[in-house]
Amino acid sequence: MGEKRLVIALAGNANVGKSVIFNHLTRLHQHIGNWPGKTVEKAEGTLHFKGYTVDVVDLPGIYSLSTYSIEESISRRFIAVDKPDVVVNVVDASVLERNLFFTLQLMELETPMVIALNQMDVASRKGIQIDVEKLEEILGVPVVPTIAVKGVGIFKLLEKAVEIFEGKLSAKPKPVKYGEEVEQRIERLAEAVGDSGLPYPARYVAIKLLEGDREIQEEVEKTKPQAAALARSLGEELERLHGHSCPTLITSERYQAANNIAREVQRLVPPLKPTLGEKLHSVTTHRVAGYLVMAATLLSMFLFVFTVGNILSELLSSLLYGFKPFFEGFFGTGFIAQLFWGGVVEGLIAGATIALPYVIPFYLALYFLEDSGYLSRIAFLMDSVMHRMGLHGKAFIPLLLGYGCNVPACLGCRIMETQRERLIAAFVTTLVPCAARTVIILGLVGRFIGIQWALVLYVLDLLVIFLLGRLAFKILPGEPTGLIMEMPDYRLPHLRTVLSQTWFRLLEFLKIAFPLIIASTLTVKLLEALGMLSFFTSLLAPVTVGWLGLPVETGVTLLFGVLRKELALIMLTTLLGTADLSQALTPVQMTVFTIVSMFYIPCVATIATLVMEFGWRKALVITVSEVFLALVLGGLALRILVLAGLR
Amino acid sequence: MSSAGESGKRKLPLAMLKDGEKGIVVSVKSGYGKGWGFKKRLMDMGITPGTEIIVVKSAPFHGPMEILVRGYRLAIGRGMAERVFVEVEET
Repeated sequence: MGEKRLVIALAGNANVGKSVIFNHLTRLHQHIGNWPGKTVEKAEGTLHFKGYTVDVVDLPGIYSLSTYSIEESISRRFIAVDKPDVVVNVVDASVLERNLFFTLQLMELETPMVIALNQMDVASRKGIQIDVEKLEEILGVPVVPTIAVKGVGIFKLLEKAVEIFEGKLSAKPKPVKYGEEVEQRIERLAEAVGDSGLPYPARYVAIKLLEGDREIQEEVEKTKPQAAALARSLGEELERLHGHSCPTLITSERYQAANNIAREVQRLVPPLKPTLGEKLHSVTTHRVAGYLVMAATLLSMFLFVFTVGNILSELLSSLLYGFKPFFEGFFGTGFIAQLFWGGVVEGLIAGATIALPYVIPFYLALYFLEDSGYLSRIAFLMDSVMHRMGLHGKAFIPLLLGYGCNVPACLGCRIMETQRERLIAAFVTTLVPCAARTVIILGLVGRFIGIQWALVLYVLDLLVIFLLGRLAFKILPGEPTGLIMEMPDYRLPHLRTVLSQTWFRLLEFLKIAFPLIIASTLTVKLLEALGMLSFFTSLLAPVTVGWLGLPVETGVTLLFGVLRKELALIMLTTLLGTADLSQALTPVQMTVFTIVSMFYIPCVATIATLVMEFGWRKALVITVSEVFLALVLGGLALRILVLAGLR
Repeated sequence: MSSAGESGKRKLPLAMLKDGEKGIVVSVKSGYGKGWGFKKRLMDMGITPGTEIIVVKSAPFHGPMEILVRGYRLAIGRGMAERVFVEVEET
């Protein structure tokens, strides 16, 4: 309909200010989702500029296009297959060489591009001056200096993108020149590759073949077996000539090219004194002080999340439950009305008062810590501990968050690099006793048996987490990845970016979690209304009474506990008809009940999150295996305690 | 600077370097197959043969190392640092 559309992709390393630029461009017109079938976040947005409707896609922050990680594959596919009209390569001016290594790979894809030379202010503080015109000349691509946090250069960036699209500005990148011997072979191989049928330029395919790129090797093997064979023999030649494997050689030479360019355009004036960020870094990674700072930071984060969460939770629940009289006045108290209130509205309220109040401050705190660069320091300090269960330092963060609420913790597992580690981290995270389970542990065992026994249960939980983490790590196929993580310079987080990151991720969470919460609440209420709950409890009796030695009523409470874990305890007092549970349960029963509640199933909101992150199948496997785990542990605990002469 | 010649240099894993020491990357060890991704990742981050690495510090309890490479700060796990071989000047 004559509408002029333009698709821009933002590409670049992590921590270069890409998301700040994205937020400047798209403001409130964003949509956060997942790349189809992947646990990788896809951020899209639109804006209007000079008569164009501009779609902006923020590609994940990556260091290379070699398909080592899911993010890299996704980015490469998007650029080569979906062919955005212009790629904006965001480059950190203060770490030019490593950023150019990525830029050179983008240029090899021969995509129309413009470079946003970002963090110019940080670079000049570090004593780095960059000759922008010279850089433009060498690369053959327009370069716009930007300071994203202040909005400097964003307008010009868009202007350039449009000019490139309209053909007013040439943005055909000059090919990257490798060393003589490599260059000759690339050209020969490119000729042999010709039109490979792949969505990539021939020269790019040739380079990647020599670089040992699995994906491209397999494709070429199918379409042009003779080119694949030539690549192998050329690769062997190069290995003999240089004494390094061919992939090493290509990567080294590309880095050498990046180094040459950086040296040509940079002028270094060493700063007189270490910056504040430098000093902060030394303290926060110190072998003693670092841990103290970490403890203090995490503690304040917890306090922040829980104080804000509790206030919000109470506000929301009094507000929402306040509607009940109006609701009853309007719909009456008939069967349908009650079912609707109990099933749909209370589901909504449960979601709104449990998940929401903690998810909001949690996201705020997380993005604040992440954007400042502090999370990478925590990962650095905790790496050796996490290694004992086959994960690396970054996994400590979601694990810790799990003590608050498993939902944001599972979402936090995205910071792991591979799908496998995300899954392991999410799995152990769901075993961490969240605030709701803490209510049961402290409210039952802690109160009626003794706080020291509650602590024993926490230790037991840590033990189980540790053992199962190790087990999952052994069972799941794939290689363990060690820590390789940039520790970017500290910086003040950009408040508007943090707020908008929180807001759009919250929307995504609501969209996924609420339907599931409501559906399951409705089911349980419906069963209750139809009088079928007692049928289920009697079905469960062999397990609850026979195997676990609990009163038959606990079956119902465990069913409701799936909705909200602390409901299990609240309902127990109602069903047993006494708040003094020591009258109704023996200490052994209390312990068994608590152990089962700790492990038996992730709550509905957590299951919903698992579905969103890993799909139905994996969510189901985790859920079912935890049910078994709880039953085994509970049954064992009963027998051991009885054998020990307790009752 | 390297007047001592070949005999003045030692080749050892990066993990053996002490705080403040520097070395030049000689090779990154990996088998073919499973090791490819790991090696590629290290090189993509700039740890290629000939690159100078300065060790800033190590985290306690056999934790990762903080290194300076190509003008930026990188944390690298112990296990990975054991597979990066560097050449250091004998003192």
